Amino acid sequence: MTDHHPTHPAAPEYGDAGEILSTRPASLWRDTLTGILRQRSAVVGLLILGVFLFVAVFADQIAPFDPRESMLGIEPGIQKQAPPCIRLLGCPADRFEHIFGLDTNFQDVFSRVVIGSRISIGIGFAAVGMAIVIGAAIGAIAGYVGGRTDNILMRLMDIVLAFPSLLLAIVIVSALGSNLMNTMLAISIVSIPVYARIVRASVIGARENDYVTASRALGESTTGILVRRIMPNAITPLIVQGTLGIGTAVLEIAALAFVGVVSLSEITWGSMIAIEFQRLFTAPHIILAPGLAITFVVLGFNLLGDGLRDAFDPRLNR
Amino acid sequence: MTQRTLRSPVIAKLATAAIVFAACGGAASAPPPTEAPTVAPPTVAPTEAAPYEGMVYPTTGEAPCGTAPYTGNFKKITAVDRLTVKFELCAPDVAFLSKVAFSAFGIQDSDYLTANMANKAILDQPNGTGPYQLVTWDKGNRLVFKAFDGYWGSKALTPNLEFRWSDQAAQRWIELQSGNVDGIDNPGTDDIAAIKADSSVAFYARPGLNTLYLGMNTKIAPWTDVRVRQAIAMGINREQIVKNYYPEGSEVAQYFTPCAIPFACEGEPTWGFDAAAAKQLLVDAGFDFSKTYKIQFRAAVRGYLPDPPVIATEISNQLKTNLGIKTTLDLQESGTFLDANAAGTLDGLFLLGWGADYPDVTNFLDYHFGGGSGAKFGAPFQDIVDALNKGGQSADDAVRKAAYTDANNLIKKNVPMVIIAHGGSGTVFKADVAGAHSSPLSNEVFSVMKAGDRDTLVWMQNAEPLSLYCGDESDGETLRACEQINESLYAYTVGSTGVEPSLATGCEPNAELTVWTCTLRDGVKFHNGADLDANDVVLSYAVQWDAANPLHVGRSGAFEYFPGLFGGFLNPPAS
Repeated sequence: MTDHHPTHPAAPEYGDAGEILSTRPASLWRDTLTGILRQRSAVVGLLILGVFLFVAVFADQIAPFDPRESMLGIEPGIQKQAPPCIRLLGCPADRFEHIFGLDTNFQDVFSRVVIGSRISIGIGFAAVGMAIVIGAAIGAIAGYVGGRTDNILMRLMDIVLAFPSLLLAIVIVSALGSNLMNTMLAISIVSIPVYARIVRASVIGARENDYVTASRALGESTTGILVRRIMPNAITPLIVQGTLGIGTAVLEIAALAFVGVVSLSEITWGSMIAIEFQRLFTAPHIILAPGLAITFVVLGFNLLGDGLRDAFDPRLNR
Repeated sequence: MTQRTLRSPVIAKLATAAIVFAACGGAASAPPPTEAPTVAPPTVAPTEAAPYEGMVYPTTGEAPCGTAPYTGNFKKITAVDRLTVKFELCAPDVAFLSKVAFSAFGIQDSDYLTANMANKAILDQPNGTGPYQLVTWDKGNRLVFKAFDGYWGSKALTPNLEFRWSDQAAQRWIELQSGNVDGIDNPGTDDIAAIKADSSVAFYARPGLNTLYLGMNTKIAPWTDVRVRQAIAMGINREQIVKNYYPEGSEVAQYFTPCAIPFACEGEPTWGFDAAAAKQLLVDAGFDFSKTYKIQFRAAVRGYLPDPPVIATEISNQLKTNLGIKTTLDLQESGTFLDANAAGTLDGLFLLGWGADYPDVTNFLDYHFGGGSGAKFGAPFQDIVDALNKGGQSADDAVRKAAYTDANNLIKKNVPMVIIAHGGSGTVFKADVAGAHSSPLSNEVFSVMKAGDRDTLVWMQNAEPLSLYCGDESDGETLRACEQINESLYAYTVGSTGVEPSLATGCEPNAELTVWTCTLRDGVKFHNGADLDANDVVLSYAVQWDAANPLHVGRSGAFEYFPGLFGGFLNPPAS
């Protein structure tokens, strides 16, 4: 194989500058993806989350039974809290296959874990997304405007941060009413200060840069400067924190459901454990499945978040 | 004989100040954890020579029997002399002795009551005559008692008693297995087989003298329509619930009152399971199937509700499957839930139950459906009230049978709630606890138990008491704690349902059963050293009876039991 450049008759001697021009332009996303793929833990996190996201999206197709359907009367001779029945491991052909067994209400645990993934992960994404949007707006205004506005907004954030997040979430859901929307709101509200602080720090760091001054001199609007010139600098830490935050949100949803703040009617992993945790020693399979689901999802987000942080960090990419 | 009415406000205030100052050692507020009252200036029994100033209540003469808005059955209470109290009733009450034996009617020292009710100190600083007295209440953690040296009866066999609690059956069982406690209440249904096989502990079965029901407020839509209520009753497969979620000894409820109680099961049994007919009823009633309705409940485990979330889930699933009704589970904090029930503000289907306080049909039916039953199911049904009044006022078995036949039939017809189950339950004690038992009334007496060679008996129940003044409580876990401290005129036989004299040596009725004259036991002392006398009895009842009494305070102010068992308050609130 011959080298392309030296054989081209009109090709000048490029030197170092020419090599830069010939390379594909740098891309934050491509570089990040490359960085992530270089890290084994991030790849593992991505794989775990990929599986769970797939399950959440196609939950209706994957769940073999209605998660609220009692097998009583449908499956003759069935016992409550029946252990897993898996064909490969000898489950009789005349019985339905329940790979995670049945709970005390004769419901298929696997179907409930599958459907539960939709709420647990879905609320996590929605709550963190909402927190990022609101927190970023607050942080950007506080950082860019500064002065008294900054002081007021940040003290408000300090007040929210002063409460233990789970306790505050319980108070919010109790006050607003225990439904999924309010649960999402509560988790979102307690997360806002973190994102506001991150964005504020980035904005303060960037607002006096030359390119911002130049934009201002060219008459670009404040919103334009914030959105087009300054905010891109804050995206990286937001993504990292948001990824880690979703894992935390999943845990908080489980905790809220466990303490009964989220209605036990909602099929979440936390509510499954809340209803059945007394069977820890007599029928551990019932709470093992949602417990492991929570563990793996949180682990997945943590691994991916760590990977993203490393991938986005230029010092680690040298 | 000179009779006097209630003490003047000035004297009451002086007494309040003196006792509070003495009890608190001069401090402005009591330090946590709550300490039991120290010895306060007691009421010294008058000398023989001094004339006894007995109270009479009401001060105006007598209650306006049968005149609206008064619906109660008490006419007058009189302290005839130091050891004699006379109860005059508007109408006969055959269950009078069973009722006055109940722990909600524990007798308080009148001076202590006067000084500590308005400021609510009595809620966590009780002063009774019982075999145990409170040492400390470490809120959220434990109650500590010690044997009362001055107890008039048999002294407690174990010098110290401790109450702990957990609403998780599994945790209670683990605590017993690990030796941290000597006895537990309500073991989990799934654990009973293992418990019976374990020789280090003993299981004491408790008969199902209780009832689980699915209540509805008949003043709140859609439960206002009797067809809807009837459909709910017919759409729930109660046999499936009992078979799969209740321990052995439980049974499907056919009547509100367990059949072991006389006159409980007269008339027609409740609605049978018929999903198709039930659904048709809902369609006929124009029921809105698009809405989602609440099933409201609390996590507290009781004999009638051994696994609240699981049974609530089962009912929710049955309503969806059998009737197409969508429901959501609304788990509430226990105290909040009970208060909302008493206030009639539960707007969904609510899971609640009742354990026998005394073995008479009035305890179940009058409390829930009588004239003084309040807003639990919206409002009392007058036809049921009339039938219950007939039954409660007659000592003639034939009349009572006919009245309770009518009452049960009318309860079936009006369907203020859906009767579900009578739950068997039990207690578990270490095998070396002598005298261990379970009571069909859930009022275990710990003073008759000897915890091996240990000097403290540790009992773990389902929940923390809400307060230690039980005149204004209806929660069984709370009542059990009060029962170790306070005593009533009569008491229930240990581990049984019979009644026997306690603070009274006897209560004798007149021929019409409208006047009951009780003779008090002489020499009984309260924990603060005060002597029991007739005025203590009068005031203890008066503060519950008269809603306008300045001492009618309690914890929530609901005082559910008094109107529930005796028909209504004197000076009832306008609402």
